[in-house]
Amino acid sequence: MTAAPAPPPAAPASPRAAAVELANVSRWYGNVVAVNDISFALAGGVTGLLGPNGAGKSTLLHLIAGFLAPSSGTVTVAGQPARGHPDMYRHVGLVPEREAVYPFLTGTMFVRAMARLQGMDPPQAAEAASGAIGLVDMAAAQDRAIGTYSKGMRQRIKVAAALVHDPPILLLDEPFNGMDPRQRLQMMDLLRRMAAEGRTILFSSHILEEVERLAQRVLVIVAGRLAASGDFREIRRLMTDRPHTFTVRSSDDRALAATLLGVPAVAGVALDDGLLTIRTADFGDFTRVVSGRARQAGISIYELLPSDESLESVFSYLVRR
Amino acid sequence: MNPVIAGITLRQLLSRRRTILLLLLGGVMVLVALIVRLAGDTSRSDEFTAGILANVGVATLMPLVALLFGTGAIGSELEDGTAVFLLAKPISRTTILLTKLAVAAGCSVLIACLPTFLAGMLGAGGLGGGLVLGFTLATAIGSIIYTALFVALSLITSRALVFGLGYVLVWEGLLSGLFAGTRTFSVRQHTLAFADALTDVPGSVFRAELEPLTAVIVGGLVLVAATVIAIRRLTAIEIAGETA
Repeated sequence: MTAAPAPPPAAPASPRAAAVELANVSRWYGNVVAVNDISFALAGGVTGLLGPNGAGKSTLLHLIAGFLAPSSGTVTVAGQPARGHPDMYRHVGLVPEREAVYPFLTGTMFVRAMARLQGMDPPQAAEAASGAIGLVDMAAAQDRAIGTYSKGMRQRIKVAAALVHDPPILLLDEPFNGMDPRQRLQMMDLLRRMAAEGRTILFSSHILEEVERLAQRVLVIVAGRLAASGDFREIRRLMTDRPHTFTVRSSDDRALAATLLGVPAVAGVALDDGLLTIRTADFGDFTRVVSGRARQAGISIYELLPSDESLESVFSYLVRR
Repeated sequence: MNPVIAGITLRQLLSRRRTILLLLLGGVMVLVALIVRLAGDTSRSDEFTAGILANVGVATLMPLVALLFGTGAIGSELEDGTAVFLLAKPISRTTILLTKLAVAAGCSVLIACLPTFLAGMLGAGGLGGGLVLGFTLATAIGSIIYTALFVALSLITSRALVFGLGYVLVWEGLLSGLFAGTRTFSVRQHTLAFADALTDVPGSVFRAELEPLTAVIVGGLVLVAATVIAIRRLTAIEIAGETA
């Protein structure tokens, strides 16, 4: 089930002990298995937790955050069991998925309160809060009540609150939800910088592009299982090398079908109701060869569309492997 | 006690709408006392005042105030998800619970006792031979027990408001009138017994149905048990993701 052996860590992080470690962790609710026998260890760098909605990403993050007890297995964070050890939270910054933040506090009051709950005295907390608010670019709105914030602003103030005690481990549940593209880029930039300083960052997302742009490592979760893990490029290769199906419109579909049958990368062609469908075994080869062959045969291709590019189909392919 | 959690809780509880609603409720009691004083027979004003303080203050205002503050202290925060900001901190859950309970109890005492004292003073035209102070003090103790009970309830069920109201109306209101045995486990009866013990008015003016000693023992047990259960529930509570 697991993808090819994990490549050497791409992160420039210090090679210290794993900050987050899961050993054979399962979690079930009654008869429903939400997380199924997952093991991995994370050190510095950004790791993306990727999977379709309802796959168990949130449950997994809640297990790591100590909000859920594993039904079996162990979750270790910063060297201690995640559950029942509040001291662990000195090392952890958490950005929950749920949007609610105390609406009656201003941004500054909220982040300061979070700093003080981490044990800072008021002057320290005030300084740390203004630093964290600056990092997420919220200084302009810091004295407004959070109840008046947009979704993206709320998300950013939550990130500031999670960063305020400068934790070595950051857990973010769908952090880019509700952010506009510019805010998204800024946040990615910030997380990249944080990771470069040696922090361990784990964020969940159901959007492949977000993970692709930010994560060095990926954990793919499908239906509670770890479907693949490792370097993002490795996963990407697995995803692109899987059989693809294309639909084609050209000047002569019949002739094109005949021509392409001779191409090794083509696993099959079908012509139904005037719609030419091509299955390929090797995505890379096929895309390199197809236009040349068509030109040789004097056929113009009007349209070449991948027909099953949904994330779900990619995930289910990974699970079936 | 954690001062930061106390501050946040205080702001949560004393939201404008809730406070105005509860103060209005207290205002009604003060108004009734005033009317009775102005229209009624002054020779029996102590009796009327004791009736108002027992039947409006102890039986209605106090449990409602404690119910709203008790269930709002932590239950609603767990529901809307903001509790994670407190739970993901290096602070023991016992401290979180005790802080929230103390703040909620303080709010209940304040909002329940203020109208009790005012209504008493107006109705009795003075301290009424210890009647007013006795009821105010008893209401303070009763508010604390009720609040602990409702905080614990809010950690046991997400329908704490419904069950709490059911306890006040059905158990304490209806069943206590029919079966004397149920009065032993009624915070309202405990409070009335405290009031009786703390005042020296004659039995013709006011008389509780429960012995003060029983009220102290059972009321104390309810307070301790509710607090312990609330701590244990908060320590054991699990927060699942939205998709789980």
